[in-house]
Amino acid sequence: MIYFDSAATTLQKPASVSAAAAKAIQTMTTPGRGDHPAARAAAELMLKLRTEAADYFGVSSPENVILTYNATHGLNIAIKSLVSPGDTVVISGYEHNAVTRPLEAIGDVSVKVVNGRLFDREQMAEGFRRALEDRPSAVISTHVSNVYGYELPIDRIAALCREKGVPLIVDASQSAGILPVNLEKWGAAYVAMPGHKGLYGPQGTGLLLCGEGRLPGTLLEGGTGSLSRQQEMPDFLPDRLEAGTHNIHGAAGLLEGLRFVRGVGSDRVRRQEAAVMEVLKKGLAKKGWRVLGEGSVLSAVPPREAPETMADRLAEKGVAVRAGLHCAPLAHMTGGTADTGTVRFSASVFNTPAEAEKVLAMV
Amino acid sequence: MPYYLLLSRSITHAQRMSALLERAGITARFSRPPMGLTDRSCGYAVHIGAERLTAALDCLRAGGLWPSKIFYYSGGAYSEVII
Repeated sequence: MIYFDSAATTLQKPASVSAAAAKAIQTMTTPGRGDHPAARAAAELMLKLRTEAADYFGVSSPENVILTYNATHGLNIAIKSLVSPGDTVVISGYEHNAVTRPLEAIGDVSVKVVNGRLFDREQMAEGFRRALEDRPSAVISTHVSNVYGYELPIDRIAALCREKGVPLIVDASQSAGILPVNLEKWGAAYVAMPGHKGLYGPQGTGLLLCGEGRLPGTLLEGGTGSLSRQQEMPDFLPDRLEAGTHNIHGAAGLLEGLRFVRGVGSDRVRRQEAAVMEVLKKGLAKKGWRVLGEGSVLSAVPPREAPETMADRLAEKGVAVRAGLHCAPLAHMTGGTADTGTVRFSASVFNTPAEAEKVLAMV
Repeated sequence: MPYYLLLSRSITHAQRMSALLERAGITARFSRPPMGLTDRSCGYAVHIGAERLTAALDCLRAGGLWPSKIFYYSGGAYSEVII
């Protein structure tokens, strides 16, 4: 199979990821419960994951690195901690349903959407500057669009938030492992990311990075192995946000995925993925497709077929892509592809230009 | 053998204290303390040899970590140490 759906989930993982996950199933339980070797091994693993992630993503303390089920889980915690009914929130026009649906669920939230032409970072930054004049309760922005690969000007958005004292939530779903992600540099309140995309971890894992100085609300309540007599959730991290038994085998795989990315280097990952996408971009454009994308992701509309039909046809030939709205209707409205949806091609470090050429020969 | 228990609010905090002390050459195993020593039950504690308390506290202070309480164990009984 030629796999070009890594913006959803990377399928090819380093061998160390599955080996670590398998070993954890056999040898580890969960931290903070028993005091036996299997529980202690799990605790050691979790501390390593928190410490190495804190170091890589600019978090002041390992305790502020939370293991989540995915980025959506982390975004829900972050959004529901900062946004209440009656609040005004500023978001980019390229957000995923993982942002817009929690805002809808909170109810009575005034959502200001900063629109801007695709790939026009100047216009996007100016839009955020204007929107921040009204002092919203929070700003939520994706780092990279999951539909178009568009890298938003997050450094500038973060600087504007710091200047105005507005908490920032960054959705790093498409950037973690590929672009520099740094909570402290941004001064962000929260950064959420999945484990199963650019970090090459197993599905069912994610990280929520928490900035200093605020106590997040809880999405789940339950056992934490700490303060058991107390019926309120602990008022310290990570326990406050990690109720119930941990996904330890997932965490073990995620730690190895993180180490793999650090070993290869995100610069090299980015360059390799962009080189493969460039082959597809040029080739599809030559064949009359409407092509919109940068970096590791590109969306394309075939000239004569519906994206879904094209994706089916490719699947039959052993090529994995994704068709439709990619859970981000707002991004399609902003980018001008809401009527048709797109075929999305998204790369991992395991893709090659030769694979891109093979795909081009099939379309 | 007398020893000190440095109480911690969570396993992660206890692990960080233990790792910092071990890196400084101070043996510092963490485990569950007796429930009677904790205000809110189910905490963690780092064990320190009786002669290493001062060095351990200096090391923790420099590393930005601090126990929630300290107990001294001797002769089968614990007594709280106020620093």
